[in-house]
Amino acid sequence: MFGKVLVANRGEIALRLIRGLKDIGIRSVAVYSDADRASLAVSMADEAAYLGASAASESYLCSEKILEAAKRHQAEAIHPGYGFLSENANFAAATREAGLVFIGPPAEAIRKMGSKTTARQVAIAAGAPVVPGTQERIQSIEQARETARKLGYPVLLKAAAGGGGKGMRAVDREEDLAGAWRDASSEALRAFGSDEVYLEKMVLEPRHIEIQILGDHHGNLIHLGERECSIQRRHQKVIEECPSPVMLANPELRSRMGEAAVKIARSAGYANAGTMEFLVDRDLNFYFLEMNTRLQVEHPVTELVTGLDLVEWQLRIASGERLTLKQEDVRWSGSAIECRIYAEDPENQFLPSPGTITYLHEPAGPGVRLDSGIYAGWNVPVEYDPLLAKLIAWAPSRERALGRLDRALAEYAIGGIRNNIAFFRDVLADEAFRSGVFSTAFLDGFFERRPAAKVDLEAEAAAALVAARGLGRASLSRDSQKSAWLTAGLERNLR
Amino acid sequence: MKYETLIGEVPGTIEIDGSHFRYRRADGQAIEGDVSLAGLEPGCYSVLIGGRSFRLTAGSLDVQVFDPRDLRGRKAGGASQGRQEVTAPMPGKVVRVLATVGDAVESGQGLVVVEAMKMQNEIKSRKPGRVVEVRTRPDAAVVAGEVLLVVE
Repeated sequence: MFGKVLVANRGEIALRLIRGLKDIGIRSVAVYSDADRASLAVSMADEAAYLGASAASESYLCSEKILEAAKRHQAEAIHPGYGFLSENANFAAATREAGLVFIGPPAEAIRKMGSKTTARQVAIAAGAPVVPGTQERIQSIEQARETARKLGYPVLLKAAAGGGGKGMRAVDREEDLAGAWRDASSEALRAFGSDEVYLEKMVLEPRHIEIQILGDHHGNLIHLGERECSIQRRHQKVIEECPSPVMLANPELRSRMGEAAVKIARSAGYANAGTMEFLVDRDLNFYFLEMNTRLQVEHPVTELVTGLDLVEWQLRIASGERLTLKQEDVRWSGSAIECRIYAEDPENQFLPSPGTITYLHEPAGPGVRLDSGIYAGWNVPVEYDPLLAKLIAWAPSRERALGRLDRALAEYAIGGIRNNIAFFRDVLADEAFRSGVFSTAFLDGFFERRPAAKVDLEAEAAAALVAARGLGRASLSRDSQKSAWLTAGLERNLR
Repeated sequence: MKYETLIGEVPGTIEIDGSHFRYRRADGQAIEGDVSLAGLEPGCYSVLIGGRSFRLTAGSLDVQVFDPRDLRGRKAGGASQGRQEVTAPMPGKVVRVLATVGDAVESGQGLVVVEAMKMQNEIKSRKPGRVVEVRTRPDAAVVAGEVLLVVE
C-alpha cells in the first residue's frame, strides 16, 4: 500500500478522499488554488501544495503543476477525484510515465470508454443493449422512413454535433418525419454549423439508472448494484438513491443490468471503480448510455447500502492488491438517498449563488452522512462548480430513509448564500417522488404543480421580531433595515 | 414600538411591547401573543411563539422592517417607471454583451451573458424599451447587483 497520496481535486470530494486516506493510515497531500487557500481540504490534509491562480486552467486542470507537486511532496500516487483531470487519459498516462500511480483505470480504458461513440461500439461488441439507432447521417427521406419503420415509432432525430436538446425532434408518426427532419437539420446547422442528423429509437419515460463496477488488475470484476439518478435539473443529477424504486419491485433487473455492466467493463479492459449509465424505459428495457471512468459524486449511496468503502478499494486496487470480494459477497441492505446541496437559487432558475457563508448548522444523528466542504466564514468561489455538500440518509426501508432525509434537511441551515435545501423538502413531499414512479422528466413543471404554500402567521411574526430586534439596535437614522431571516420551514411558506 | 414589515411580497406591521407582540398583515390576517426570544450563536435565534419553537438563521429570505418615524422612510416599491437598470443577479464574469446603445429590446430578450460557477446565464430585459447605456464589457468581473445596462 502507498505511504503518501496526492489528492488532485478540491471541495467536498477532496475532503472525502483525505478522510479515506487517513482512515487507513496513508499521508495526504492537498493541492490548492488562490481561491482555495482557506479551504477545509487544505487545513485537514497532512501536506498541501500551491498550484496557481483561481481559474481551473491555472490550477486544477494543469497536469504539469500537479505532477510537479506530487514529486516535490514525494507522493507515490495521485487520486483525481471526479471532474477536472479525472477522465483525462493523457493525464493518466503522464502520471504513469512520471513513475507515479494514477488511482483509476488504465489510460487505454479511459480513452476507449471516454468517447461516447467508441464506448457504444464496445458495449455492442460485448452484447449489451444500446439505444437502437443508426448513428449514421440521414441521406434521404426514403432512407429515414425505412430506418424509422425498422426502429418503430416514436423515434428521435438527433444532431450529430448536438447537445442541450438543440437539433432534436421527437417524431410520433411517419407523416411528420419529413418536416421534423427539415426542422432538426436547419436548427442543427444554426446551432453547430453542421446539419448532420441521425435517427434513434425514442425511449419512453426513461429513468436514468447507473451500475457501479469494481475491478482489479488481475481480471476480477464485480458490480455493486445500481443508483437511481432520474431526478435531474439542467441534465445534472440532484438526487440519487439505492435501491432504485424499480429494483425493489423487480429484483432480477439488478443482476441483469449488473451482468451487462461487468461484460462491457471486461471487454474494455477496465480496472478500478467505474460507472455504467443506462436508460431504463417504462417496460424495464435497459440501454447502455455511457461510462464514467472515475469515482462518482454519488458513490456514498452505494457505500451506505453495501457497507463497502469505495475509496479504500480504489487505493487497494491501484496498489496492485487483488479484489478479494466475490460477486456473491456483495449484499444490499436498506435504502440510502442523497441530496446534492448546491449554492444556487431553485426559485430563480437555479441561478448560481457564490459568496460568503455567514452561518452554518449541519445535520447529524442516526443514519445521516454529510460529505461537505464548507464552514461558516468560507467564501464559496465563483470559479468552480456550485456543489457545497452531499447529504445522505440511510434507513432500513425507503420510507424511513425519506423521513430521515427530510428531518436532516430541516436541521440543515446555510446562511449568507442561496441554496437548495428547502427545494429538496418540496421534492421529498411530492407524491410522485414518494411513490417511486418517476422519470428524468420529473422536474419539468415541478414548480407549477407544487402545492401553494399556506400562510404561517406565527412563523412570519417570528421572522419580523428577530429582524425588528436588529433594527432596534441600529441607529434610528438608518432609512431601513433589510434583514434576511428564515427557518427552512419559513422559507418554504413565504416563497 | 411599532414597525412596518415587508415579508416576501406582503406588507404588514408589528407592534412590540416588552414580550407582547401584535402582527398584522395588509390582507387583514393578524395574531398577537407573547414571544420568547433567545440568541444562540451569532446569526441564529430561537423564537417561541404560541407554544411553537422556531429556529431562525440569517439566510436568504428578505424580511424588511422599517421604522415609520424615520422621515426618509421606505423607498417606493418596484422599479422606477420606464427606466430599467439591468443588474447582475450573482457575481461572475461577463461573457457576452448582446445589445448596444440605441438597440430596441423586447421584454424577455437576452442582454448580457454572465458566467458563474461553470454556468452561463443570460440576463434578460424585464420590459420592452431602448438601451440607453451599456456599463459593462466582455471579460469584466461583476458583483451581485452591479448595473450592467440601462433600458428606457
